[in-house]
Amino acid sequence: MPRISLKMVGASGQGVNSIGAIIAKGLKRSGYCVFGYREYPSLIKGGHASYQLDISNQRIRSTETKVNVLVALNHHGLELNMEELKPGGIVLHVTPEWQFPEHHQKLIAERNLRVIYFPVDDILNRLGATAILSNVLLTAFVWSMLDQDIDALKSLVGGRFAKKKTLLELNMRCIDEGFSFVDPEQGTISVPLPPPDKGFSSHLLITGSQAMGLGAVHAGVRLYAGYPMTPSSPLLSFIAELENKTHMVVKQAEDEITAAQIVSGAMYMGTRALTATSGVGFDLMSETLSLNAMIENPTVFVLAQRPGPATGLPTWTAQGSLLQATSCSAGEFTRCVISVSNSQDAFDLMPVAFNLAEQYQISVIVLTDKQIAEALYTQYPYDLEKTEIDRGRLVADPEKLKLLKSSDRFNPHAVGGVSLRWLPGSEAATYCAQADEHNAMGAVDESSLNTKLQMEKRLRKFHGLKAGLPAPHLSIGGRRAKTTDWMNEGDEIELLAIGWGSTGDVFQDVMCSDELRGRKIAYLHYTYLWPLRTQELQRLVMRSKRIVLVEQNYQGQLGMFMRMECGLDIPDKILKYDGRPFFYDELLASVMERCASTSEDQQNVPDFVLAGTPS
Amino acid sequence: MNIALQTQSPALSEYYSETKCIWCDGCGNYGIWTAVKYALVELNLHPWQVCLCYDVGCNGNGSDKIEGYRFHGLHGRVIPFAAGAKLANMKVPVIAFGGDGATFSEGVGHLIHGVRSNYPITFVLHNNTNFGLTTGQASSLTPQGQSMNTSPNGIPENTLASMDLIFSLNPTFVARGFSGDIKLMTRILKAAIQHRGFAFVEMLQACPTYNHFATHEYLLDRYFDANAEGHDPGNLQQARALATQDQERIACGILYQGEDIPHFYDRLIPRRGLETTCVEEVRRFDVSEYWKELV
Repeated sequence: MPRISLKMVGASGQGVNSIGAIIAKGLKRSGYCVFGYREYPSLIKGGHASYQLDISNQRIRSTETKVNVLVALNHHGLELNMEELKPGGIVLHVTPEWQFPEHHQKLIAERNLRVIYFPVDDILNRLGATAILSNVLLTAFVWSMLDQDIDALKSLVGGRFAKKKTLLELNMRCIDEGFSFVDPEQGTISVPLPPPDKGFSSHLLITGSQAMGLGAVHAGVRLYAGYPMTPSSPLLSFIAELENKTHMVVKQAEDEITAAQIVSGAMYMGTRALTATSGVGFDLMSETLSLNAMIENPTVFVLAQRPGPATGLPTWTAQGSLLQATSCSAGEFTRCVISVSNSQDAFDLMPVAFNLAEQYQISVIVLTDKQIAEALYTQYPYDLEKTEIDRGRLVADPEKLKLLKSSDRFNPHAVGGVSLRWLPGSEAATYCAQADEHNAMGAVDESSLNTKLQMEKRLRKFHGLKAGLPAPHLSIGGRRAKTTDWMNEGDEIELLAIGWGSTGDVFQDVMCSDELRGRKIAYLHYTYLWPLRTQELQRLVMRSKRIVLVEQNYQGQLGMFMRMECGLDIPDKILKYDGRPFFYDELLASVMERCASTSEDQQNVPDFVLAGTPS
Repeated sequence: MNIALQTQSPALSEYYSETKCIWCDGCGNYGIWTAVKYALVELNLHPWQVCLCYDVGCNGNGSDKIEGYRFHGLHGRVIPFAAGAKLANMKVPVIAFGGDGATFSEGVGHLIHGVRSNYPITFVLHNNTNFGLTTGQASSLTPQGQSMNTSPNGIPENTLASMDLIFSLNPTFVARGFSGDIKLMTRILKAAIQHRGFAFVEMLQACPTYNHFATHEYLLDRYFDANAEGHDPGNLQQARALATQDQERIACGILYQGEDIPHFYDRLIPRRGLETTCVEEVRRFDVSEYWKELV
């Protein structure tokens, strides 16, 4: 798969994002698949930020550590990012008379780098334009380097200033100037892209947060309450931006406890409501999680992961909250934890989460992370027909409502532990959603018999939930065929990798690499994390010469659950816990290293021990 | 309040519960509980038409002693839960109940933002000036020098000036009742439930087991119906003065009501002109219009 990478670096607020966004959209419209990745510190102005675009004419969904083009909006980029250039790479900068230190001069020579100074201030002065237009100039020059059509860029930029004629004209002049600039030393520079695939031009360019927001609206969410906390805030912003079109109730709450309680009250009343937070914000919501378990109130929480503990690294990524999602909160109860992996299932899983919550009258925690929340995906338009809204055992028919007894609401003998639910305001017998231990109609009952019955009712849901969850998704390197049959029988697997969340897309790209062509690599991706299905895993393990766990946390948290659930211990782990996502080349190297060391007669698959036995 | 008028009036017996009362003899909750039922019946509301939300405390133990769609939640959190319930279905009157411990200690932030947000709900403060259900600790409304469980020397903290706090938040409805006067409480509750925005109702109540300072007799001697003495609830300054000067005599009744102030939901521009509630709107939405800008 051809890959070209372009990285804009500069101070936060200087325009790295706007240049990145315009180029990304322009390239996508020209027929390229673009994957955008942002790095930035937790501040508004200053600090070193970057926006990298990885570009291909095939589906691309990962970031490389090495780039073809570096665009440095200030001299810090020249100091900090030179090492990231590929041989033959291009450095475009705006710092007058910059003298590279000796080690960078050596690097430029060794890697045959081409350095272009773009005299942005001179051009701005000549045009009588303000500094804000420097980004348009630079964008236009990069656009010309990519051999793209100037009119496509003009229509993209022009759309923003349709009503401001003078601004529009100035922008167009900047585009002409930037596009026609030729570096006197380097001459005309071209970064060859592979031939485009026009199929991408109708795709969406979307962040995981936007995908999740659209998915929530699609799922029938009518009320959103949240408290700002990166990386959940972009979801709140997106939902709020849409409020005049969706007519939703949007509430920025005074804290995460309030957000969780408002959403719980709204769900109890019978609408679909959503909240999202991160790390310590979810700690504050955890008492409400426990509350909803006791009153059997369906709820959905989005937990957008960032590295912790505490404030941790607010604007960086992690998969460190799996244990938190599955285990936090008082008491024992049934909950479901799922994780989105990219812009496709960030959308698709929102109706799924609400359906599960209502089918089982439980809380569903949807994990995402900063990487998914803020990465820019090239996304095929969503299928709007496949979702069905399933509200479980909700009674709404007036005739059926009349037949209800108060004691139907928390009937401990209900099949699968899921009793009938009906909404406040319905003309029917009433009940109490009771956070104290209660009997079938919600009256407090601390008796031994009742306590046992109600505990069993709430925890019995776990079995139905677990049995109904979809299997983890298996991909086989180099194979395009369906893998459903492969789950049960197939060739010996050279390397079985297991992961979840944003790791999945990077691994998919790794499996498509030329370097691994013909290798029998399988990747098992978990979307449904709790309850955890292990039957497929157990079957695949028997056929695998080597297994590796791939996670963005220190402990290998999914691996811990696998061991807990089926006794399988996976000693070999590719773990990352530095706040950065897995990068394509880095993960490829880790996988290749393992493939090289897998010899014919040596296996690293541990002897299978049953859960609970000492190993 | 936003419910359709019923042709058939409810009987008080519709609110009767099978669950036995377990409050202490002489507890103020009996009176408040009774007045709530009267108010709902007099407003022509059947149990299935109302949502009653209870905080944790002795008041919350009333959650299964009455009919209606009820919720009994976590300590201090009843206001945001009730607000969420109301915003989801504006057609159902939502009444929240909380004690002075839950409201002015654990959940004081929720109270502040509840008043500030002017949510269209009624909040009834059961003020017995202590944590009753956890056996008589001082709340932030207990007088500073008062010896209590866990504070034998009295509390080192200042007592919170609750009415000053409420009036500093530009409330739209403030009333005070006394658990010994059911007629007064019923009148207040009916007005509160019919109020357009956040109705803050303080019920002074006896706690015969742990409150030996503001007893039933103490409150009986000092309370008076300020409206009967001519107090105009439209006068904010006078209301604040009346509410906070409670040493000699304790002013009860509807102390303040701002009639024409839009509540939280009225201020939501996206909801203007909509007849439906969020509950009624749940369905699969076509979102393709929203992604046009992303192509």
